[in-house]
Amino acid sequence: MRGIDLFTEFSQKAGTKIDPKDIKIDDTTLRDGEQTAGVVFANEEKIQIAKMLDKIGVHQIEAGIPTMGGEEKEAIKKIASLGLGCSILGWNRAVKSDIDASVECGVDAVAISISSSDIHIEQKLMKSREWVLENVKRCVDYAKGYNLYVSVNAEDSSRSDMEFLLSFARTARDAGADRLRYCDTLGILDPFETFIRVKTIIDIIGIDIEMHTHNDFGMAIANAIAGIKAGANYVNTTINGLGERAGNAAFEELVMALKYIEGVDMGFNTKHFRALSEYVAEASNRVLPAWKSIVGGNLFVYEAESKASGVLANPKTYELFSDKDVGLERKIILGKYSGVETIIYKLNTLGIKISRNDAEELAEIIRNKSVSLKRALFDSEIIDTYKSYKSKKGTRKAVKKGGK
Amino acid sequence: MAIAKSEKYVNIIDTTLRNGEQTAGVVFSKHEKIRIVGMLDEIGIPEIEIGTPALGAVEREIIKEILKEDFNAKLFVYCEAEPENIEYAVQCGAKNVVINISTSDIHIKEKYKKNKTWVIGKLRQTIKAARKNGITFIVSAEDATRTDLEFLLRLISISAKKGAYRFRICDTVSRLDPFRTFLYISTILSAMDIPIEIYNHNDFGMATANGMAGIRGGASSLVASVGGLGEGTGNAAMEEIVMALKYLENIELGIDTSKFREIAEYVARSSSRAIPIWKAIVGTNVFAHESGIHVDGVIKNPKNYEVFNPKEVGLTRQLVVGKHSGSHTILHKFKEFNIDLTDKEANDLLAMARDMSIDLKRPLFDKELMYIYNEYVKKSKNKKEKLEVAE
Repeated sequence: MRGIDLFTEFSQKAGTKIDPKDIKIDDTTLRDGEQTAGVVFANEEKIQIAKMLDKIGVHQIEAGIPTMGGEEKEAIKKIASLGLGCSILGWNRAVKSDIDASVECGVDAVAISISSSDIHIEQKLMKSREWVLENVKRCVDYAKGYNLYVSVNAEDSSRSDMEFLLSFARTARDAGADRLRYCDTLGILDPFETFIRVKTIIDIIGIDIEMHTHNDFGMAIANAIAGIKAGANYVNTTINGLGERAGNAAFEELVMALKYIEGVDMGFNTKHFRALSEYVAEASNRVLPAWKSIVGGNLFVYEAESKASGVLANPKTYELFSDKDVGLERKIILGKYSGVETIIYKLNTLGIKISRNDAEELAEIIRNKSVSLKRALFDSEIIDTYKSYKSKKGTRKAVKKGGK
Repeated sequence: MAIAKSEKYVNIIDTTLRNGEQTAGVVFSKHEKIRIVGMLDEIGIPEIEIGTPALGAVEREIIKEILKEDFNAKLFVYCEAEPENIEYAVQCGAKNVVINISTSDIHIKEKYKKNKTWVIGKLRQTIKAARKNGITFIVSAEDATRTDLEFLLRLISISAKKGAYRFRICDTVSRLDPFRTFLYISTILSAMDIPIEIYNHNDFGMATANGMAGIRGGASSLVASVGGLGEGTGNAAMEEIVMALKYLENIELGIDTSKFREIAEYVARSSSRAIPIWKAIVGTNVFAHESGIHVDGVIKNPKNYEVFNPKEVGLTRQLVVGKHSGSHTILHKFKEFNIDLTDKEANDLLAMARDMSIDLKRPLFDKELMYIYNEYVKKSKNKKEKLEVAE
């Protein structure tokens, strides 16, 4: 697959303009997100998440797995009946009864999932490639009989033989499928390999491609974007990247990366991102790390002088977007890495004016205090430290004067 | 520990103790710092940044103590470009330093409130001080990815001429994606003859991918930290880079990965930042399987859903019973308890387990599975007895 002149190809693509209208988000927080070991949403939570996703403007919601029945089916039925603006999709194995269950839920779209890699076909399905293709055709035909939007998911695409993956895509296309979901099920591609594989499918078969990427090696977002650069027009995301194992491509990261790195503004109201992330974190019982990209609580908190002094002069020195853009707040704290500029600023916000000389002396005291506490200082501790510094200095002066 | 290294080699310089600690709110104690250097050294990390001498006497004491120990790794200290900072480094006994200076127009104008000539002057003075003291130095260009390329090349050329050990390209604000990173690094290397090192942040979740793209573009060294600990969103995670090099690029660095979980835990505890259970490579959930399809696949052959064995990074595989379980999981799970179920029993128990999981909003503990089983056995017995009575 490395026959193409990589450098030429990437040089061209590095700057290619992508039309925001061409890219659609299919969010799977409610399906792959919930499928994560240990995560269960209550039905009210599912409905709430669906409403929030619709309000923020995603194009499609993968609402769950109808064939599981019971509560799951009820939730999907309910979501499909809310009259949301986006498409509602049900996830299915390549089994007719699964599709029947989706139809009963009233969804307008289905994903039909079946493995395309030899290891899955032989070791998991215990079948043959021919059997897989027959099932793709049979199930797409069947779903199309109900006039549904059909996505065919090639599970484990990345470990699939490329020739076979092309036959798989061709079979899906010829049967009338609307798109092919490229599943990097194990998260084993890098962006360059992703680009070439996706581009090959698009060039040869010419079918809409959806990127479904996993974060096992920390590359979910980069791979999704590489897919877009290769011409994919759907991305399967989850809020906070919630998903099996190391998770999926995070909705908020993808949207912001497209906007600020690729210059593709999809028009989402990003101000709601933190609130949406918090809700999903709570419902999935998974605390949002303070350093989580885009929405982490600590992202706009500055301590180190080198950064803080830059941000105080002009936030653009260290920020590509601002705190308010994602519903967060900028904050300066004092600790082991604090310096003069930061201390003058911080004390000023606490209502204390301090000279540059004093700030220099105080810096050392504050840094040592932070080292002994093994953390940054609370505002009250900063004020106390300042006061004791001032009174000691006062005493020193008095002693000096007395000595004269 | 004799893992064969591959021909192509990539240097890793770990910055857990420097940029990691620079994270707002994070402070390591002396004891923790020494322990972390020891752990990184033991598994074979070749280079480590251990601290910032200019911070004050307390930090210098810690650095001095670390440098007294006998480690294999090459240990670096970090200095903002300022001759005085080199003096501090020398006081600690440091032999290797990273000299950092911002190179982008916005940083020069807004942060330093100076001009490009001043930057060149500062860099030259600091390099001079380092050379005078016989110190090995890496030159680090902060915000390099927003820097005028011509100016950056000039700084690289000066650094190379003055004998810099390496030149570090910092994507300080996560300005690049992997394709641009690749282009950027290959462009620089087509014009310059000095080893290039890449430094990434994770603002858009691409630190690891960008680091790997930099290597593909010809960078020979990469800055990483344990768990990705670092300012803001953090840096490229050391464990992700090492595993990605091994499994995606076939580059074996000879690092003992089986200690990854242990080291990540130690750093997490010392920095008061719990490892998310879904953290790539070292999260406890990475080898937990619940959904019927996945568990079924894993039972048949772990390679269906795992790229490497959990033991390789010091984790264990878990099969979780919950809402998404299938009957195969139940059969397998009870086999672990030495109970052989019939298919019908497995299906009945599965329905009960799913209901209970939805009700509790979480997967089930092994004990709860046994409760369900006992309840089920009791019920079927009662049914049988009733039938017998009726007859």
